[in-house]
Amino acid sequence: MRTEFLRPIDGLRLVEEYRALLRPGESEAGANGTVHRLPRFFYEIGSWEEAHEIRLAPHFTLAELMLVDCREARLLLGQFPHYVPCVIVLLARLLEDFRREVDAPVFISANGGYRSPAHQIGGAGSIHAWGTAANIYRVGDTFLNDVKSIGKYGAIAASLSPAVFVRPYGLEREQTNDHLHIDLGFASLTPRECSDAS
Amino acid sequence: MFSVDVSNGLHEELEALALKNKARAIGVALHDLETGFRFSLRGDRWFHAASTIKVAVLLAVFRAADAGRLQLDDSLHVRNRFFSAADGSLFRVSQDRDATPELYAAIGRTTKISALAHAMICGSSNLAANLLLDFVGVEYARTVLREAQVDGVELRRGVEDHGAHERAINNEATADGLLSLLSAIRGDFLTPESKREVIRILLEQRFNSMIPAGLPPHATVAHKTGEISTACHDIGIVYLPEREPYIAAILTEFDSEREGRRETVAAISEAIYRSLLRTEPKSNED
Repeated sequence: MRTEFLRPIDGLRLVEEYRALLRPGESEAGANGTVHRLPRFFYEIGSWEEAHEIRLAPHFTLAELMLVDCREARLLLGQFPHYVPCVIVLLARLLEDFRREVDAPVFISANGGYRSPAHQIGGAGSIHAWGTAANIYRVGDTFLNDVKSIGKYGAIAASLSPAVFVRPYGLEREQTNDHLHIDLGFASLTPRECSDAS
Repeated sequence: MFSVDVSNGLHEELEALALKNKARAIGVALHDLETGFRFSLRGDRWFHAASTIKVAVLLAVFRAADAGRLQLDDSLHVRNRFFSAADGSLFRVSQDRDATPELYAAIGRTTKISALAHAMICGSSNLAANLLLDFVGVEYARTVLREAQVDGVELRRGVEDHGAHERAINNEATADGLLSLLSAIRGDFLTPESKREVIRILLEQRFNSMIPAGLPPHATVAHKTGEISTACHDIGIVYLPEREPYIAAILTEFDSEREGRRETVAAISEAIYRSLLRTEPKSNED
């Protein structure tokens, strides 16, 4: 696992223009009245080459979990460094476990890993802004776009840990229909060398 | 005088072609930029726009680029999942009806907006069209058409939205409307760079069995076809090295799946060409 490029930083020490977009440690109210703190600690990624070389788990590179489209804030899209929450390493671990169970390549969609709170899809209201969620659009040769495939692989993902949440197939909010959404809730990770003190 | 003669002759010839080929209806609009000659045969009749509506989407995409709302080099998430304009129900477009299989291979990943625009026009990709329309928004695209003063093109939804079709929510256009759409593209509505790029995309059209088929080999056409079960259209800007271009919109309607539809459009294209090449330049008309 190549992780020597991983440089943890405290988001509160970023320059203002990044802090405005990433909102490190800020509270965000959910639709059901719950309140959660957005990630504060990030890995700083210097280039796409780095992102492709950083293997968070045997079958998952960091690049797969940070690919976004033009709905991302321009500053976070077009230039480096990029920042991803440190907890992304635990998401990669979950995906590796999932891959082992399904015994087939697992494909994460664009916008399907970490998205910043400034991303036009979901924004800070999306758990993707925590870096704990992944949208799997394909397992092996199977596209996950119907109730059967999403149900089958969702059950496998849910069996991996009580901490894993899987969205059911459907058209409503919190349901999916062209991918399998799995997440670890509003988890965060403070690297050993960092301090939670402000 | 010459224009009147051409107009009368063309009118008669096109009516005869429609009758001979058993077209249920035809609508033709023409603007010759060499002479200023304009012609319209039932140019205000509404037709199902079929894939000619993609030219309206193309205009909206490039207008958005000119306005800084997007960059053509931006990447967009490719997903085959759309929501009906009728009731919000889910629908997907069919890969079998799309000439751009490579785009389906990108599902889940990203593709550049410029590549989507190219696929939407040159391969008439329904997937690309819906992705782009979803991204810029139907309301924005309609606003662009209004700003371009394009009347006669009603963009209401994405393509292959069968739920909307069943409720008669369709994209519709008149020949006059589509002519004004192409005129807006050729005019100064877009920046010169965008105009060049839009025309370049239209020139790379892969389906050439209609307007181009009725023209001599040295003609080049920036165009877009549109076909559904009953509709068969082609709209384009015809470039001939010896003269200024002309713009033509040829819309036809037939009984479902009737054969010879494209040949009819090609014959209309040929009739237009022959008529115009006999027309005297505008400076000699007075």
